[in-house]
Amino acid sequence: TIRPQTYSNVADNSGARESMRIRVPGASNRQYASIGDMIVAVVREAVPNMPPKGSEVVRAVIARTRKGLNRDNGMAIRFDDNAAVAIDREGNPKGTRVFGPVARESRECHFAKTVSSAPEVLRGIRRNRMMLR
Amino acid sequence: MRLEKCWFCSSTIYPGHGMMYVRNDAKIFRFCRSKCHKNFKMKRNPRKVKWTKIYRKLHGKELPQDTTFELERKRNRPERYDRNVVEDTVKAMKKISETREEREAQTLANRMRGKKTQQRREDLAELQQGIHLVKAPTALLEEPSLTLPKEKMKVKVSVEQESKAMES
Repeated sequence: TIRPQTYSNVADNSGARESMRIRVPGASNRQYASIGDMIVAVVREAVPNMPPKGSEVVRAVIARTRKGLNRDNGMAIRFDDNAAVAIDREGNPKGTRVFGPVARESRECHFAKTVSSAPEVLRGIRRNRMMLR
Repeated sequence: MRLEKCWFCSSTIYPGHGMMYVRNDAKIFRFCRSKCHKNFKMKRNPRKVKWTKIYRKLHGKELPQDTTFELERKRNRPERYDRNVVEDTVKAMKKISETREEREAQTLANRMRGKKTQQRREDLAELQQGIHLVKAPTALLEEPSLTLPKEKMKVKVSVEQESKAMES
């Protein structure tokens, strides 16, 4: 669950490194965002010389949470960190690569493009974007 | 539906049980219960933790390598459904698990062989050394013919054991 003020890693190469969640758009006082939810976040740490600067507001989709998911088949999944992928208003990913495993739940309409985008291999690890079925 | 193995203790994880932890390098760890998960978080090595299957196999407590384990090996290629194959597999599963149980029982018997005689020997020694805890020394002196007290059960057992120990 990602609450307001929660820092999460940015799991793509859009240029932001860490973001802090502000809101969940579309709900007035929604407290918790989970995997697959779109959030509004402010960039807290960014790769130097790249478009998103610190304190720029972006939208993102949550790709991984430590709290994880509970699947219908009873399997509970937990990730190693909280991570989000930066997207624009239409839902297209801002970066070109996604890092790390991603849960299938984030294939919601605004994330499908990100998730289906074929990434390059990161540092020799074969599947840096893994669909968990 | 697939039955997974717990990463820590190697027990089967049935649907609805356990938890899956995904590390950022996309490696998946499945745990059958929070006990295993907590041990994992403590960074314990299952090879050193006594109650895990890995430890037991490594230290010869259980059948380590056997052809009966081959059937359960994970295959990632999905098989085309063939009714005869399914039927044969079901029959084979039963037979193989029976065989495996027999072999495991045999392994256990081999491991425990000689335990009974050793136990008897130890018990006899303990009895002889510690008889003063049971019977006062003066009482033993009253009956110089017997080295051990007159209590029925004890005398019987000890005489039997002594004779058996002497035989073996």
